[in-house]
Amino acid sequence: MRDWEALVEGHLTGLALEPAEGAEVIAELAAHLAESCEELRRQGMTEEEAVKRTLSQVEDWQNLRQKIESAITKENIMTNRVKQFWLPSLVTMLLTMGLLALIQIFGPNPWMVARKNAWSLIAPVAVIYLPWLLSLPLVGALGASLSFRSGGSQRAVFSSIVFPVLPYLVFFLLALPVMAIFNERLAHNIMFGALFVGLFAWVLAPGAALLAGGLLAQFFLSRRLDSRRIAGS
Amino acid sequence: MIGTGIKRGTAELAVLSVLEHGPLHGYEMARRIERQTKGALRFTLAALYPMLYRMEQRGWIRGAWETSSSGRRRRCYRITPVGKKKLSPLRREWAELFGALRRLTKVSNA
Repeated sequence: MRDWEALVEGHLTGLALEPAEGAEVIAELAAHLAESCEELRRQGMTEEEAVKRTLSQVEDWQNLRQKIESAITKENIMTNRVKQFWLPSLVTMLLTMGLLALIQIFGPNPWMVARKNAWSLIAPVAVIYLPWLLSLPLVGALGASLSFRSGGSQRAVFSSIVFPVLPYLVFFLLALPVMAIFNERLAHNIMFGALFVGLFAWVLAPGAALLAGGLLAQFFLSRRLDSRRIAGS
Repeated sequence: MIGTGIKRGTAELAVLSVLEHGPLHGYEMARRIERQTKGALRFTLAALYPMLYRMEQRGWIRGAWETSSSGRRRRCYRITPVGKKKLSPLRREWAELFGALRRLTKVSNA
């Protein structure tokens, strides 16, 4: 029995689609060719004739590959990007900021990290909202779930999860050093401490919390998808 | 046989029309269209699938994998509410076009 899937895969090598999407296209075209060939065999053709006639449906595989890529990617590249990245990212961003604002208004009070020396009166080095950090795995899980369910790639899912900490990362890596250079009023003596503790409190810890929930959600979703695929095959 | 240009325009209408009566996989869809149009509309694999994918991206149809009683996996397409909405104006446009062509050819023959 002819391996139609291997044949189609061989002809459509380099199909510029997401791997899962490409595999589905190959499986669908192979199923079509297999049915077409079986039908011709039922009509009395020899195996060789049926295969030849079936393959004559595709005169130019290169052209078919381009048509498929164009149909899938060009039609809706924006919609896919919105569904798989921008929408989940904005949801995680809004939830992260909204939760932080609620905790800042209604409490509990944050944990202040301050230097225990003569300069500690100047400013706290970092302000850490523990309840906020504890809520972030749920936000990360929601972002991952939205992106994964709309067919987002590994990169899109990861970006959607960590999107809310990007503004803080930019602040600590760019804005704070620039402010330290140009703003004389900034307390230079706490600069390095603030930078490192701030990076931990506002970028690394929230990022880890978001990723913990997000990656766990992605793991369970992909396992469920795999078990469905196995059940369906 | 109908020319290629007209076929291209009517292909989407044909797909939506057959899917209106129930879900079908690609091969069966092509066979049904060919049978119902008495061979006037014939889809090869290379013509059918790029069109189906384009229509799916537009949200007119939705494909889902199903396993047949023989154990073969096939991607079955269903018309969506958006596709159903698209079908009525498409039918009207083509009916107007064919009506106009009929009138024109009658006048020419007279």
